[in-house]
Amino acid sequence: MTETNVATRGRSGSRNSRIALVVFGVAALALLAWVTGWWESHHTIFAQVMVSGLLIGSVYSLVSMGLSLVFGVLDIINFAHGALMSVAMYVAFVLARSYGVDPYLSLLVTIPLMFIIGVFVQATIINPVMDAPLHSQLLLTLGLSLFIQNLLLVLFTGTPRSIELPYASGSLGLGLVTLDFPFRLFGAVVTLPKAIAFIVSLLLAGALFLLLQRTRLGTAIRAAAQDPEGAELVGIDVRRVYLVTFGIGAASVGAAGSLILPFFFVSPTAGETFNIIAFVVVVLGGMGSIRGALAGGFLIGLTQELTQLFVPGSSKLIGVFALFILVLLLRPEGLFGSRT
Amino acid sequence: MKRLSKILMLTMVLGLIASACVSGTADTTATSTTQAATTTTAGQATTTTAAATTTAPAPAEPIKIGAIHPLTGGLAGAGIKMDNAAKMAVADINDAGGIASLGGANLELLSADSTGAAEVGQSEAERLIGEGAVGLIGAYQSAVTTNIAAISERDTVPLVIDVAVEDSILQQGYKYTFRVQPNATAMGKYGAEFLNDIATAAGETVTKVSYLHEESGFGTSVFEAFKAAAAGYGIDVVAEIPYGAFTVTDLTTEMTQAAAPKPDVIVVTGYYNDGVLAARAAQDLALDVKAVYGVADGAYDTPEFTSDFAGGEGFFDANYHYNAASAKVVEIRKRYEDQFGAQMDTASMLAYQAVLVLADAINRAGSTDPTAIRDALAQTNMTDHLMAYPGPIKFDSAGENVSAQPVLMQVQGGTVLQVWPAELQESQPKFPAVSWK
Repeated sequence: MTETNVATRGRSGSRNSRIALVVFGVAALALLAWVTGWWESHHTIFAQVMVSGLLIGSVYSLVSMGLSLVFGVLDIINFAHGALMSVAMYVAFVLARSYGVDPYLSLLVTIPLMFIIGVFVQATIINPVMDAPLHSQLLLTLGLSLFIQNLLLVLFTGTPRSIELPYASGSLGLGLVTLDFPFRLFGAVVTLPKAIAFIVSLLLAGALFLLLQRTRLGTAIRAAAQDPEGAELVGIDVRRVYLVTFGIGAASVGAAGSLILPFFFVSPTAGETFNIIAFVVVVLGGMGSIRGALAGGFLIGLTQELTQLFVPGSSKLIGVFALFILVLLLRPEGLFGSRT
Repeated sequence: MKRLSKILMLTMVLGLIASACVSGTADTTATSTTQAATTTTAGQATTTTAAATTTAPAPAEPIKIGAIHPLTGGLAGAGIKMDNAAKMAVADINDAGGIASLGGANLELLSADSTGAAEVGQSEAERLIGEGAVGLIGAYQSAVTTNIAAISERDTVPLVIDVAVEDSILQQGYKYTFRVQPNATAMGKYGAEFLNDIATAAGETVTKVSYLHEESGFGTSVFEAFKAAAAGYGIDVVAEIPYGAFTVTDLTTEMTQAAAPKPDVIVVTGYYNDGVLAARAAQDLALDVKAVYGVADGAYDTPEFTSDFAGGEGFFDANYHYNAASAKVVEIRKRYEDQFGAQMDTASMLAYQAVLVLADAINRAGSTDPTAIRDALAQTNMTDHLMAYPGPIKFDSAGENVSAQPVLMQVQGGTVLQVWPAELQESQPKFPAVSWK
């Protein structure tokens, strides 16, 4: 059993081969860039592509981890994930606009609040259909997503809004070093909000790993994911585990909402953009695999930006969906998924 | 196997969602199936016919006109505002005594939601006509408007386009469709002309521009018109970078590519969300350009842009605009803000204007027969309109407003001001102008 695979069902593939696949994928893309000789004349653009890809990829990872966890444990494909993200973004937006709360401080509100909303949604809406056929669950979460979106439309109108960090362009003292934001990395621009989103996303991913691996709750969640009946037999309250899991899923997307607000915009459908990408990441990384979601987010971020570099004149997502199809053909269980 | 079928199912639904998200640009059948499921009225609408076109209601009965805009989905923000403006226009006309030539008959607005999808817009047009609408206004998106125009021609009920830019809508030989706003060719042509004018006036030279535009018909057609016109002023488009407006999460890479050939000016055509992302990227990169210049851009002339993004100071937008100098416009905008709690933008003013144009035609026709209204529309000559156009609203044989042209605006001191042409100036253009230099 691979420890980080909450949804390990049956024999898992070799971990080394999976890591090799990811490394190979990134290396192949980098090589392609290098071979075409663009490096000479376009190294700033290339650096920007890699930096932008990694920065946005970290957010994709965070959004995808929550989705993947819910799928791995509850076996539910949650289409309301993006709508929950919009809710968190509006909470952070209102706190920032009306009460002057720093968007990063609002993490202290959005994470617990989204956890509670997640638990509530699971308890009232999802739990009753846990044993229902897949398509009823799917339509239910799709309906929930439409409901939330239209509720937000009524409450906030559809006008996209955004906020700015007052200190986005300033300097940050880190002991001996002082960083002036936005700073340049190999010629590529890194802004403070994106750097913070990157670091906090990784920290939260680490926290989620620790929670799943090192705590009794995590053990219970993994047990419920592998064999709900067995878990019940040894005294785990599986329904309660489901509540907590959905709560964690919502909390992680809530954190993502707060983190992207300073460099994105909020509208009732803003989270949906990320949800589509998260689905690709989850399938790419292996459904139910947290590690897969983390790696997949970065891979999709890089693929999207590289597509823009090499296939200009089309939507960036073309490369993403091409990769998606390729993975489905070659490794349908996903890069980090277990074979059925 | 269960897992595999799950992945397949997910892929299919994902496809549907993805296409629904870009429905502002694409005419896919997948979109219509998802959207129709969410719009309860859309299903029944197709069964009704245009029987109502022959019934002329007695003057005492309200005269029904239809308004179709995206009231849900990614463009709901703009669509709801426009629908509110149309409602306000109808209320204003009724308060002022209704349609005089029909014994003071009141107007009644039938609002419909296109959901941003061409097929839904089309079936909603059929439904409204079936319910007795004698004229339509709409529809904010070119793809949706194209389909509605076809229905309006088939059912011989006039359509007054408030917002929709693509030239091709009125190149079908239609007799029942009229457009109040400038088309893509006018946007691109005047966009290039104004850029050359203000650069010359400031003693600067602009020879190279990079162009970022959203990839659908809207962005592409404006870009092509701009490029053709710019060549006449010795302005070269050195980089063209299209992007998907509804799926994009970051435009930093695109902006880096645009900046690579060292252009004098970055030109942008897109909607609001992507416009903000482009502006942020330009600021983050501290681009060494003389200006960021929108052409028909949905962001850089809006109140939200100036209030939400301080780096937008100095941004230009060559776009349709209400006549800021008109007292009537000031009064309408104030009432709109009081009533709906949001500033009235130009798209909303165009919706208001479209209702006035339609009501004026009904009044002159003295009839609720859609064909008579169409004939009256063709004779429109409205001088006291609300737009920043140099002449009266008057339609040519194709249905284009002969006076429609954009005006150049610039964010100055946190306010969007008209800066060119000289006769519509609220302030002098500042060029070069980027806030980060």
